[in-house]
Amino acid sequence: MGSGFNKQTSASRPRKSGWLRRNKEDYFIDTFVYLFCTIVLIITLYPFYYCLVISFNEGKDAALGGILLWPRKFTLENYKIVFENKQLMQAFGITIARTVIGTVLSVAACALFAYGLALKDLLFKKVYISILVFAMFFSGGIIPYFLLLQYLHLMNTFWVYIIPNLIGAFTVILMMSFFRELPQELKEAAKIDGASEFRIFYQIMMPLSKPVLAAVALFVGVGHWNSWFDSAYFVFDRDLRTASHLLMELINKANMTSMAAGMDQREVLESEKNFTSETIRMATMIVIVTPIVCVYPFLQKYFVKGMMIGSIKG
Amino acid sequence: MNTALKIFKKQAFYQILVLFGVLYLFIFNYIPMFGLIIAFKDYSPTQGVIGFFTSDWVGLKWIKEFYNEIYFWRIIRNTVIVSVLNLVFMFPIPIFFAILLNELKSAKFKKIVQTVSYLPHFISWVVVSGLIFVFLNVQNGLVNDFLVWSGITKDPVSFISDPKYYWWMVILSNIWKSMGWGAIIFLAAIAGIDQTLYEAAVMDGASRIQRIIYVTLPSIKSTIVIILILSLGSLFNGNFEQALLLGNSVNNSVSEILDTFTLKMGLAQGRFSYATAIGLFQSIISVALIYSSNYVVKRLTGMGLL
Repeated sequence: MGSGFNKQTSASRPRKSGWLRRNKEDYFIDTFVYLFCTIVLIITLYPFYYCLVISFNEGKDAALGGILLWPRKFTLENYKIVFENKQLMQAFGITIARTVIGTVLSVAACALFAYGLALKDLLFKKVYISILVFAMFFSGGIIPYFLLLQYLHLMNTFWVYIIPNLIGAFTVILMMSFFRELPQELKEAAKIDGASEFRIFYQIMMPLSKPVLAAVALFVGVGHWNSWFDSAYFVFDRDLRTASHLLMELINKANMTSMAAGMDQREVLESEKNFTSETIRMATMIVIVTPIVCVYPFLQKYFVKGMMIGSIKG
Repeated sequence: MNTALKIFKKQAFYQILVLFGVLYLFIFNYIPMFGLIIAFKDYSPTQGVIGFFTSDWVGLKWIKEFYNEIYFWRIIRNTVIVSVLNLVFMFPIPIFFAILLNELKSAKFKKIVQTVSYLPHFISWVVVSGLIFVFLNVQNGLVNDFLVWSGITKDPVSFISDPKYYWWMVILSNIWKSMGWGAIIFLAAIAGIDQTLYEAAVMDGASRIQRIIYVTLPSIKSTIVIILILSLGSLFNGNFEQALLLGNSVNNSVSEILDTFTLKMGLAQGRFSYATAIGLFQSIISVALIYSSNYVVKRLTGMGLL
């Protein structure tokens, strides 16, 4: 316990109990804290690890159970099937497209809106802000929204993923509070040098705003990557399904059959193939989760700061 | 007047940006809000958005119909139970977790635990429901394998379809998904505490537990209050995605909440006015909850949001 006890004197924050000798209470608390955090680590990571292990195991063999830490019969077959499946690849294509296009457009739209709002003595500012805050707290609910999308002919098109998600009130407030803190003198200086307003925005203010842009891009991007609801309820074209929506259908199908008493088992025993719907599902889940796992740790300092601004001013 | 126009012209670039944004909000946020009036009308989808205004008034017909729905009380009960359970567990646990993290002495380990604990927040409910089903499956589910192997139960338990276990499943998966993320704000608040307070407490002979109770907790009180009000306000919004994904025809008696019922009536059965009325009913209660909880908390602590 407390292996870092002596090493840590250079930490940015002075430690609270460093001045005293460790007593019984200290030992007890340290043990409890380390134990608890270790359990949190395991409970959080193990489900993903288990999926990973199963996804690399032969399906028939996995159905026998008992695999915990390592694939028993290693195979890449499951991933091969996932990557060769046309429907799945189509769905991943749609998801990638909506994530890239949606994130870029949404960050741009929110940044422009927030930049306008952040001007120090903007005329009618109070009115604009109340419109924004009201939109954050209240909504018309799902049905009028659905009817609106239908009226705008967005239903059953790719754009239903992009356009209705362009501007989020919370995002705009987050960006606005960041832009307000930027040094305004730079703006004045650039203006004297003859730069246009848009150029000031694009070439001076935005590069300074990278932290908030990164945080927002992560939030919006993850939202797009994970979304399935709009795909399930606003789109009927099966070629426009998102990956998460397809995964949901796979999970539901598996659930229904397993509830209908032992169907899964029979399917496994009768099949000659060495993959099952379960191992395919696991492989799909891993493919969906991997990009997120790879990206979010690197943006951590940005989104932590973003959440703080958001919670204080939002 | 003239000066206002002058200022407006000077700010033209900014004003145009904002007006575009406001126009967007008007279309995608405010028009649906106007659309709520179809809760009091006999609306049919062929009428389009114009029909929001032109369809016939029917007063409280749909609200009454919902009240007379056989499952009315069951849906209300499910919504309230899930919300209250969420509040009772999801409000204190992140505070507890943040305080524990703060007590970790190794900065490296703390960082690892923090980073890992954010992960589930970024994972969709679809994947989470997939994980739940894998672990709780009757055949080959790890949990059931363990229960049978260790002899705790003789036969595998059907966690997924048995209504008895549904709320447990909801709460535990919620804790799993949002404990780390919920702790961010409290960690930030704790990081902002003046370290001299702790030094003074040590001088006065405060033990570690006492320092947590008498320094840490009071110092983050305002953050706790803000988060409490926010979570009270969403008390009547059961986690809709979760209910939709974990609910099935077998556990319907406990998983059906106002949101899923609205969706079923509206999008699946096409009863738009009826579904809107149910949604409106829910929003009104939510708004009332935000204001009343804010009032109560203001009375108790002298702090409030609104």
